[in-house]
Amino acid sequence: MTSLLEVSGVSVSFDGFRAINNLSFRIGPAELRAVIGPNGAGKTTFMDIVTGKTRADSGTVRWGEKGLSLTGLSEARIAREGVGRKFQKPTVFEDQSVETNLLMALKNRRGPFAALIWRPKPAEMERMRELAGTIGLSAHLARKAGELSHGQKQWLEIGMLLAQEPKLLLVDEPAAGMTPAEREKTTEILVEAAKTRAVVVVEHDMEFVRRLNCRVTVLHEGSVLAEGSLDHVTSNKDVIDVYLGR
Amino acid sequence: MTGSFLSRNPSVPVMLGAILALVFAVTVFSEAMGGGLSTSFVKTLGMTLCLALAALAMDLVWGYAGILSLGNIAFFGLGGYMIGMWLMAARTRDVVTANLAAQPIPPTPSEIDAAVAGQIFGVVGSDSFPLVWAFSGSLAAQLALVVLVPAALAAVFGWLAFRARVTGVYLSILTQAMTLALALWLFQNDSGLRGNNGLSGLQNIPGAEGVPQAEVALWFLWGSAAALALGYLLSAWLVSGKFGAVLRGIRDNESRVRFLGYPVEGYKLAIFTLSAAITGVAGALYYPQAGIVNPAEMMPIASIYLAVWVAIGGRGRLYGAVIGAVAVSLVSSFFTSGRLPDLDLGPVRLVWVDWWLVMLGAGFVAVTLLAPKGLGGLVDLWSRRRGADRHGADLGPDAGALREQEAEA
Repeated sequence: MTSLLEVSGVSVSFDGFRAINNLSFRIGPAELRAVIGPNGAGKTTFMDIVTGKTRADSGTVRWGEKGLSLTGLSEARIAREGVGRKFQKPTVFEDQSVETNLLMALKNRRGPFAALIWRPKPAEMERMRELAGTIGLSAHLARKAGELSHGQKQWLEIGMLLAQEPKLLLVDEPAAGMTPAEREKTTEILVEAAKTRAVVVVEHDMEFVRRLNCRVTVLHEGSVLAEGSLDHVTSNKDVIDVYLGR
Repeated sequence: MTGSFLSRNPSVPVMLGAILALVFAVTVFSEAMGGGLSTSFVKTLGMTLCLALAALAMDLVWGYAGILSLGNIAFFGLGGYMIGMWLMAARTRDVVTANLAAQPIPPTPSEIDAAVAGQIFGVVGSDSFPLVWAFSGSLAAQLALVVLVPAALAAVFGWLAFRARVTGVYLSILTQAMTLALALWLFQNDSGLRGNNGLSGLQNIPGAEGVPQAEVALWFLWGSAAALALGYLLSAWLVSGKFGAVLRGIRDNESRVRFLGYPVEGYKLAIFTLSAAITGVAGALYYPQAGIVNPAEMMPIASIYLAVWVAIGGRGRLYGAVIGAVAVSLVSSFFTSGRLPDLDLGPVRLVWVDWWLVMLGAGFVAVTLLAPKGLGGLVDLWSRRRGADRHGADLGPDAGALREQEAEA
């Protein structure tokens, strides 16, 4: 199987603390993967390394068929290569309308000059409305994003990610603070998205992970402890010891 | 960011109409047309329009991109210096040539050059043109420099600062340091720009000796109004499209913009450089009306003034910057004119010229605490728009993000 992202032997330390320790991870071009692990296991740091927010001390991060190295590229450049990221707290542009949020995220040329002369094309407006429909915000296009409920903001951010048309989606605790109904919808959106691209979901909530029904990677102390189906990893003795048993 | 230009910028026709009405009224009642408005008042109004343009450029970087630049006053001064060099050189040359023409032996060009240089640089003990005056003989070149010099300084400074990801209060301090360094350099006699004397006599326009100042004042009023109108149109176009949406995104949540794939540094550099160019034009129109430009104009207090205007007018709305600059600078010139009688309050004697700064400071604090939307927020009252109740949450995690109370509905 060819892989879209291949992280191998990556380590990173903060003031002597090894947040990531010889971590290796790979994911295919259309795959849904859940990453679980106790607090401090390095889940968020792992995302920081892939998206260029944190530089790895050693190891390689290879991307795509050509094996482009992502280490050393800027966050914006990595995003343009096709890595989309959703933060744990919903981060949308609260002072701007839902429509503007989505239009800004649409895959497009990103330079200042291109933005200056940009005018919405009918196809782009159509795509924006379609996305708004997917995330259930069609009726709220003109509202400022800051007025939306917590769950709606989470969806808007997922919608913005989809608008970027990334090849890989990194999603940090998408279901945090959501009602059961909202969780269900979020699951649907993510499973649907994973049909055409790679999606990595970092999650605490086992129930949510079970619903995703996908391969699971368990992180512990900065490296991979186990990988496989949820049932497989939850019956793994190491996993029970460090995570589930507590 | 969708819809027609006017629907995205409802303030544009109102602002252009207001500028036009002001210019029309002042022209009709001006001294030059036989009206009662004094020439000095017309000049004050013309200068106020320039300050409004500078405030507008400040709002672009601070209100929209969240960069509290304390360097904009340096760009303003540089604009003044650039046009001042031509005005002073050309005017002095005319006067010197006329004087020398009366001599029995006609002067050689080099004699004229030496005499002009002696006139201009005598005060700093020099008698030749320094290198920075190389283009002072050409109006076209100096006009180009009005835009290019501030823009180049902003581009170099911005590239270094933004690339190093200096943000927030550290960036403000850096820009202030740049301004102070420039002022201190200009204060030196060997900087070639006449040290603390600065450039003077700028109100005398070469080639317009026969025109009374009353009329010159009107020309500059028209010029300043046209510049403000064009600046307003340009700014409105910039901030209401996708470029403006990205800028606001950077102000409120820079890392989100980065992870969307936008080169944040490029956007900051573009708006900072453009703001510097606009401010340079404002300075070039201001100082011929003021008559003199010297390094004291760029001292730290002046940088603060620009920020105070924008804050009092309302950050993040273009008309706010204009209203703030016009209101505060007109009230300021009223209180500091010396025409107001001092107030005797028993133990304290209220001298308005001295107390004005205290009042301005108190006003600034009051606006920040009690009415963060500033004077521009009155428009929201009038249009009956209410901001959403965000339970005290700001609009973004960044230092420059709009506060809940500042947000436009």
